[in-house]
Amino acid sequence: MSNIAGKAYAMNVITPIRWYTAWMNKVIFWVALKFPSTLNGLLTLSLIHYARWVIIGRNQFPHIHPDQPKENLNYSYMLFFSNFNGSWDQYVDSFTFAIPTGLDMFWKWNIRYSRSVPLTPFHKYIQYNQIETTHYYNAYPLAASNDVKSAKKLRTALIAFDNATREVSDDEFQKQYNALLRGLQHDFGDMRPTPIVSMSAAQVEKRHRRDLRKAQQEKVPAIQEVDDE
Amino acid sequence: MSNVSGKAYALTTLIPIRNDHIGEVAYADIVRSRLENWNMLPNSPMAKVPETYLCRFYLIDDVYIESQPSGTGPDNWADFLPVTPNALRHAVLPKHDRLQSRYLVFSSELHGDRDTYLRGMWLAISEELKDVFGFCYGFDEVHNADDFVAYMKKCQLNVALFFNGSNDDPLEEQLKALYVKQEFSRFVVENQGLPTAELRKKFLTFIGRVAPTNVQFPSWTAGQYSLPKVQDKQQEAAL
Repeated sequence: MSNIAGKAYAMNVITPIRWYTAWMNKVIFWVALKFPSTLNGLLTLSLIHYARWVIIGRNQFPHIHPDQPKENLNYSYMLFFSNFNGSWDQYVDSFTFAIPTGLDMFWKWNIRYSRSVPLTPFHKYIQYNQIETTHYYNAYPLAASNDVKSAKKLRTALIAFDNATREVSDDEFQKQYNALLRGLQHDFGDMRPTPIVSMSAAQVEKRHRRDLRKAQQEKVPAIQEVDDE
Repeated sequence: MSNVSGKAYALTTLIPIRNDHIGEVAYADIVRSRLENWNMLPNSPMAKVPETYLCRFYLIDDVYIESQPSGTGPDNWADFLPVTPNALRHAVLPKHDRLQSRYLVFSSELHGDRDTYLRGMWLAISEELKDVFGFCYGFDEVHNADDFVAYMKKCQLNVALFFNGSNDDPLEEQLKALYVKQEFSRFVVENQGLPTAELRKKFLTFIGRVAPTNVQFPSWTAGQYSLPKVQDKQQEAAL
């Protein structure tokens, strides 16, 4: 199990929908896609790297080989994938507090969906339908989503500043340097590893420390033997 | 369908695992165990796959249906009328679905187009893929990058809504930007209050070292989860 990769958490949720109402959920997603302003609430949740919703019709599970038995399901299913920063509780709660109506729209008509408010039944619903990730990879485990966004802004501004100040006087350089720092004050930051970057990194570090200890223990008696001689 | 958001692509695949076993261990459990072994490596094999922002593997063993407690209309009737048949109460409860196969889910957030990405994935880690996907239906017919692309397309599901809360730059650009952010933040802290001439001189040296326009070097590497120790000490001294 590896839901964590650095500062990102992988959430997977699978929920049943009645096959004859699944098309309505698709319409809701289509509207959200065509009118991006409907996703403004999600944009305020800047802790999200990427999220997606997938609806699988009850006859649409991939069937790719004649030997594979065909599915015979009563319901269609909705899969939700999210990559976010912070803890499970922080994420689920922030969804509830920031976009309760949007959340209810996306999960509308899912079987036994409890609605996003009150919190406890909603927590239970997600917990019941969540699947653990077996292997999770993150290209930048030291960075949060906000780091990725601010890094782009910072690099662009730094390159522009460097180009603009090559030929200017010292006074002008200082003036523009101060302006650069003022403009970027929300984008600076020191990125560090989280206490456990991932289960894999924790294990690798543990093995590395163990090997070092072993090497040292083997070295000490060897030195003592030389001294004895 | 919205697999694409700007230049970012959301790939979702459900790969059916063969209903077979070795000894008493089901193929699906072997797949899970082999993926868990990836967690024990110094870094994920996916770090070698170009343009992967984030990706995950997990198994769907079965689908989930929440049932009891009920509390629907027929339950209320049953409170007043004990003769209300149980069959009526059960009829309004969610039905119980069971999957015929277990599925390996691979989903990836990536930069660029799907086919180039999958081709790059095969070229980078085909041995690791064979080791895991070899237990799935139809994978024995996959022998090269083109076969792999065609296979994954058959297993792909379209995304109803893809939300990109990050950016869609090439991964190399993102990693370079993160490196520059880290280095420039440190530079600013270390050089506060210097006389302008000295600050300017140090800034030029800094730009020469960090090379913000060169995306390849120096930069962070994909999947890098620690900082160089020397840099760590310098940062601590600066703070």
